[in-house]
Amino acid sequence: MTQPRIRWRRIALAALALAWLGEAAADFKIADIQPKFTEQSLTFSGNLDLGLSPKVEEALAKGIPLEVVIDVRLYHQRRYLWDKKIASWTLRRRIQYHALSGQYLISEGEGEAETRESLLTQQEALKQLGSLSDLKLTLKEAPSDGDFSADIRVSLDIEALPTPLRPVAYTSFAWHLNSGWTSWKVAR
Amino acid sequence: MDLVESSALNRYVTRYVTGFTPLAVLSMLLIAAFIMMNAAAQNSALFGRMYSVLLLVNILGVVLLIALILLNLFHFVEQYRARVMGTRLTLRLLVMFIMLAVLPVSVVFFFSIQTLNRGIDNWFDVRIERALDDALLLGRTALDALKQDLVKNTQEMAVELETLPVKPKVGGLRSELTLLNALREQYNITELTLFTQDGKIIASVSEANFDPGTLVPDRPSDAVFIQARQGLTYANLDAIGKSGLRLRVVVPVRSRDVGAPMRVLQVLQALPPRYAKLGESVQSAFAEYEKLVYLRGPLKFGFTLTLSLIALLTLLIAVWAAIFSARRLAAPIRELAQATNAVAEGDYQKQIPVTSHDEIGILVESFNDMTRRIHRAQSQSKRSQQEAEIQRAYLETVMGRLSSGVLTFNQRLLLRTHNPAASQILGAELKSSGRKSLTSLTEHYPALSPFTEAVEQAAAAGQAEWQTQIQLAVNGRRRTLMLRGTSLPSWRGKRGGYVVVFDDITTLIQAQRDAAWGEVARRMAHEIKNPLTPIQLSAERIRHKYLRQVPEEERVALERATRTIIEQVEALKSMVNDFSEYARSAQMQSRPVDLNDLIRDVIELYKNERGLSSGGVVPLHRADDKPGKGKAPRAVATKLDLDADLPLIAADPGRLRQVLHNLLLNAREALTATTKPMISVSTRVLTENTQRFAELKIQDNGPGFPETQLVRLYEPYVTSKEKGTGLGLAIVKRIVEEHGGAIFAENLKHGGACVIVRLPIAGAVPVSAEKSPAPKPVHAEKNA
Repeated sequence: MTQPRIRWRRIALAALALAWLGEAAADFKIADIQPKFTEQSLTFSGNLDLGLSPKVEEALAKGIPLEVVIDVRLYHQRRYLWDKKIASWTLRRRIQYHALSGQYLISEGEGEAETRESLLTQQEALKQLGSLSDLKLTLKEAPSDGDFSADIRVSLDIEALPTPLRPVAYTSFAWHLNSGWTSWKVAR
Repeated sequence: MDLVESSALNRYVTRYVTGFTPLAVLSMLLIAAFIMMNAAAQNSALFGRMYSVLLLVNILGVVLLIALILLNLFHFVEQYRARVMGTRLTLRLLVMFIMLAVLPVSVVFFFSIQTLNRGIDNWFDVRIERALDDALLLGRTALDALKQDLVKNTQEMAVELETLPVKPKVGGLRSELTLLNALREQYNITELTLFTQDGKIIASVSEANFDPGTLVPDRPSDAVFIQARQGLTYANLDAIGKSGLRLRVVVPVRSRDVGAPMRVLQVLQALPPRYAKLGESVQSAFAEYEKLVYLRGPLKFGFTLTLSLIALLTLLIAVWAAIFSARRLAAPIRELAQATNAVAEGDYQKQIPVTSHDEIGILVESFNDMTRRIHRAQSQSKRSQQEAEIQRAYLETVMGRLSSGVLTFNQRLLLRTHNPAASQILGAELKSSGRKSLTSLTEHYPALSPFTEAVEQAAAAGQAEWQTQIQLAVNGRRRTLMLRGTSLPSWRGKRGGYVVVFDDITTLIQAQRDAAWGEVARRMAHEIKNPLTPIQLSAERIRHKYLRQVPEEERVALERATRTIIEQVEALKSMVNDFSEYARSAQMQSRPVDLNDLIRDVIELYKNERGLSSGGVVPLHRADDKPGKGKAPRAVATKLDLDADLPLIAADPGRLRQVLHNLLLNAREALTATTKPMISVSTRVLTENTQRFAELKIQDNGPGFPETQLVRLYEPYVTSKEKGTGLGLAIVKRIVEEHGGAIFAENLKHGGACVIVRLPIAGAVPVSAEKSPAPKPVHAEKNA
């Protein structure tokens, strides 16, 4: 009696795992970054690996603007207590295909502070989108002595998608692009 | 306790959850949320951000609504299974309402989905798509032409720049700037920048009004530099935010000097405003269209989702409204049914609150009116029943206290009612007999046959009023009854019964006889007494005068004759005295008397009065006394059984003594022929109809009264004795009646006579009354 149910459960689990693996190949990843204090700011080197799933790629190619959210949190590591959060930042970067020029436009910030960049290929554009080289996060005060760690996460913001797409995006794995939190030791 | 509380809480929760308010509020909120969501789906700025939240809220709301409705339905099913009154009707209404609501909504939903999908599909037209593609292509082509021009110009400029030395002399930079400026002006370029091959700016010139926000000239990306270093030309259209479109051409500038490093020239040319505007327009239109095409699926999904949710919501609200209104509609009917049940079970005070003024309200009012009337009628009938009961009790009491016997019969002569006096007079137990016929009455009590015959005869004759006198022998006592009959009024054409009222007039007749005899006795005494004295005196004179004168041989005869005359006259006088005594009106001298003492005195007297007794009469002696042997006739045994608790009675002791004398003498005389004569005297207290009597019973074992004389025993001159005047018992009766008592005589079953005297024990006689010693016994009379 129970065997068919178990079999079905296994099949379902396997399907889920496969789907996850399939998406995992095209997920956001944070492979290797090096946060570093420079005077009163936190700088990074390295790139966020932003792989898009085919569906998202298609949407991008069709002119749907995508927005990625980069969350950064700075912790002061303490031996006996939990780590103390020093600061947190949320950066939003947008990528959009420009049909007339055949380029990908990357923008960051809002209003006057908006910076835009146009790149020829999607690969280049995604690389630029995930580039942390130019990132300079200012701190309120110079970091004290001790170990610090920077937690970082990058994800696709579904709420920034056009309204009709949101229900689809929420109900589809292909749209759930999220690196999850990764922790990096901050060098001096 | 906990159970009660939890069940109360449960009921409260159930009422709250299945009530009107929560569902109404939820429905209103959901409708509001759907309106907002619909606005959001149409890209409204206000609700755009809240779209997902609204969607979630709506789905949860719908789920909650479903849960609530299921709860309602579950509750209803429970009631249905418990066969709660009204649920069947509610179910029927519910099904009807749901059908009415669901069918149109489903139809509308189906066609809306169809129309929506078709409508969205209709937005997209292959021709428009192609036109847009073409427009884009055209734009690109136009821009390409511009780009080719710019590339050509740039290459020319690069050729001119080749002449510039790689390592400038002092002030060489100025010459480069001048050249660049000259070139810029010559070719009408927006910005010209010369880089080293590793990307350092050598010199840059730009239009004065070009991109004033940036001081640093725009640097191409590394890829472009790599391309330039490889000797390739890069040309592209840059989309730069608000500043619109511009052309960027990057070309390598080779140095004419051998081994000198390559330089890179970048030309940025802003598109002419007209081109830029058109280009942007084409771009945005294309992008928007592409986006729409891409979003066609999600858009359909979104609209379908919204529409489905709204349809579902509408359905659910309709179902809920159906449940609510079905319950509401069925409620008064349910109440009515319950109330009808209650009335059927006898609760006539049931009233239903009138909640509406429609037909059901009228029905409820009529019902209330009906129960009120029933209740009133019922209480009225109860009241009249009580009244009838009271009337009956009243009649029964009156009948019970009547000294006359009353019997009623129906038209078939079955006994219907009777009163105690009837039973007493007839000596028959009528109570248990129920509706007895006269025949069965006669069967049970053969002595009553004269009575039943009289009634039957009267009924057969059909007389409305009749009267007759009959004689009955009840329990050995002769009774004369006066019967009066009347037929009862008929009712509804049926003949009524009969009522027979009868009185025991034995005593009345007796009294009349007694009165007559009293008169006779008085006259006789008067008439006889008068000549007796002259006769006696004459006889005495004759004797006195002629006794000595007559010869010796005749003297004896004279003496005997005169003595006989004198003696007989004396006897006659005595008899006349008796008569006058009988006729004399009572001169009672009442005082408290102990009857027992009196009896003992009299008995004692008889024991001692041997000398008095004349021939044939024997003295009395105690039952334990042994009569002397050889004495003839033998003495009579007496047996006393006196009640020690007998209270004093108010009586004339002298007259009572006479009663005792007479009765004892009678008894003694009756025993002359008996072998073992015995007289027993007993007293006791008797209570009859709240009246207390002292009962004196004198029995003998003689031959008893002759049957023929039993009725007229107390009349004068009724005697069985050869020598009696027949006045003894008549006097006894008179005295007893003077004392307010009664006397009965009967024959005992095993032989012998019994006389019972009942004297009332007056409550007025105080116990502490002076107990006077019995007066000297009056000389016993011998009138038996």
